[in-house]
Amino acid sequence: MHAPGCVAITGLRSFVGQRLAERLSARGHGLRVLGIDLRRPWRLERRVPFERVDLTDPSANARLAELFARERVEAVVHTAFRRDPTPDLEADHELETIGTLHLLHACAAAKVSRLVVASSTMLYGPRPDNPQYLSESHPLRGHPDAHCIRNRVEMEELVAEWGRKRPDADVTVLRCAWVMGPSHWDRVVRHFAGSLVTTVLGYDPLLQFVHEDDCLDAFEQAVLERRRGVYNVVAPGALPLSMLLRLAGKTALPAPAPLLYRIRDLASRTQTGDPPAAFYDYLRWLWLAEGERAWNAFGEPVYSTREAWISFVASRRMRQYR
Amino acid sequence: MSEPHLPESGEDAPAPDPEGAAAEARARRRLEGGLLQEALGALRAELSARLPSGEHGVDWMALFDSLRRRLGSTGMRSLPAEVDEFGLDRAALERARPWLDALLDRWWRVEVSGADALPRGQPCLFVANHSGLLPWDGLVICHALGRERLAPEAPRFLVEDWLLGLPFAQPFLTRLGGVRACRENAERLLRTRRSVVAFPEGAKGATKVFRQRYRVQRFGRGGVVRTAIATRVPLVPVAVVGAEEAHPVLFKVESAARAIGLPFVPVTPTFPWLGPLGLVPLPSKWWIGFGEPVRTDELVPEAEQDELLVSRLNEQLRAAVQERLDEGLRARPSVWG
Repeated sequence: MHAPGCVAITGLRSFVGQRLAERLSARGHGLRVLGIDLRRPWRLERRVPFERVDLTDPSANARLAELFARERVEAVVHTAFRRDPTPDLEADHELETIGTLHLLHACAAAKVSRLVVASSTMLYGPRPDNPQYLSESHPLRGHPDAHCIRNRVEMEELVAEWGRKRPDADVTVLRCAWVMGPSHWDRVVRHFAGSLVTTVLGYDPLLQFVHEDDCLDAFEQAVLERRRGVYNVVAPGALPLSMLLRLAGKTALPAPAPLLYRIRDLASRTQTGDPPAAFYDYLRWLWLAEGERAWNAFGEPVYSTREAWISFVASRRMRQYR
Repeated sequence: MSEPHLPESGEDAPAPDPEGAAAEARARRRLEGGLLQEALGALRAELSARLPSGEHGVDWMALFDSLRRRLGSTGMRSLPAEVDEFGLDRAALERARPWLDALLDRWWRVEVSGADALPRGQPCLFVANHSGLLPWDGLVICHALGRERLAPEAPRFLVEDWLLGLPFAQPFLTRLGGVRACRENAERLLRTRRSVVAFPEGAKGATKVFRQRYRVQRFGRGGVVRTAIATRVPLVPVAVVGAEEAHPVLFKVESAARAIGLPFVPVTPTFPWLGPLGLVPLPSKWWIGFGEPVRTDELVPEAEQDELLVSRLNEQLRAAVQERLDEGLRARPSVWG
């Protein structure tokens, strides 16, 4: 199949959604982009048309199907996920799992031939018994205490099942590592942004990132070309947390694991929790993903893990590192 | 807005060339990032050719490198801090070298024999008997192999899960070449031409008590043999004599250990009586004997599924390790050498 004529992007306000919409609409060549979200992002360029649809609404599937059919949407990019988990478990579940279900129903009804879903390597789960590098076929074990991760795992199962039933549709799932770069901002980035970074005492796992440009490159290719399957979008190389902090001139603030979890649990129960206790497991155990499959399909990333990290650090505190 | 009014003119325009455009953008960015690095490298080469170095009291190259390192993020790229994909830190290993050397030569007076028969220039899967809760044996075999250049790359030793779960143990072991024991890791290491030291007895070997010493336990379910067949590397039996006496486990306490996440608490002549000091291994005399390598490159990859063949090879290996152990035990005058 040639490049699609119209691409719909759900979750236009997400980082990937907005950037991808801008990139694709700048290409021209008859490629149209349709943004879907609750509100129009205020910085978005004018030329991206926007449609307000609430994915959690019970009638969202019918509305989306009608929209897709009217606009002759050929490809859908699904990025409508919460950037940060909220204390409201129900709302998260409604958006991430039920919202995806609605979207899948609409895609089936409108015969959308290409579906690109944003996912995360966090879904493999941090565990002491993970192999050093997790391949795409490794089961998604998630995290027992993190409902946001559990919802996403469920979401991926729905997408995989949808793809199995429709062998003629191209379904691409891009599991991205933690995204680093000059402009990406989320809970993870915030954790690393300060000059003091809380770590778990006695643990120093290898971490891997992906640069925002490489991540968007992968999404762009997945939309424009046929790239079926599941891919781990990660940068080559991995560095221990302590070394990352040393590279950035940041100070580690090690806290013993039981204390850390107790404090965080308390904080999340009083709804000021940020980040949740489960997050620290990602700074404790291994959850590196194998990137060879994506590198073969999308090309070698421009930035390695080290360069992605340095790009982030340098842009955050440029003056200090000059 | 209800009706996105967009030009449909692109329909008959020539199809876009996404591959070319993406590649171009990629190359451009790579260039921007790499140009400065390249220019600095060329400048350094130029300088080193023209400037006299060392003799006149000023080390120009060192000065240049230190200046370059201060050039913000560009300089940060060339910081030596780097680990390989399994977390081995060469700088840390270099720092630990004097300690490890002292441990091998002074403390345990390690003797190596049978190294002449080792296959050169290719990775091997070393299969050794396991003893003691702390993975001293893996560390010592790896260091001995690396020191005598018996392996093409820095060899790694496989470590049980629960040990990597302990705080402080994980960063320490990982930096020095420990890798979690699982098939994926072993295969990945061997495919990238790094030798692996495996202890197929697993926890059964590490947790045996003193009166079972030097009795090699069952070799798992043949995972080692399967890994070697899949990666077509030779299997080398290794016998370690002396490691059993470094931490002689008199008996084990299991009930209290569950609470702190250990398989058991060992009771040795020094632990827990002397506290952390009891973790210092006893200075027994060590002997590492390499056995005759078992070649697997003649086997077809399908042989991995042949259960009988796998279990036969597995038993053959176990017997070879046991035989070599008995040999070493007969030869030694006493535990303390």
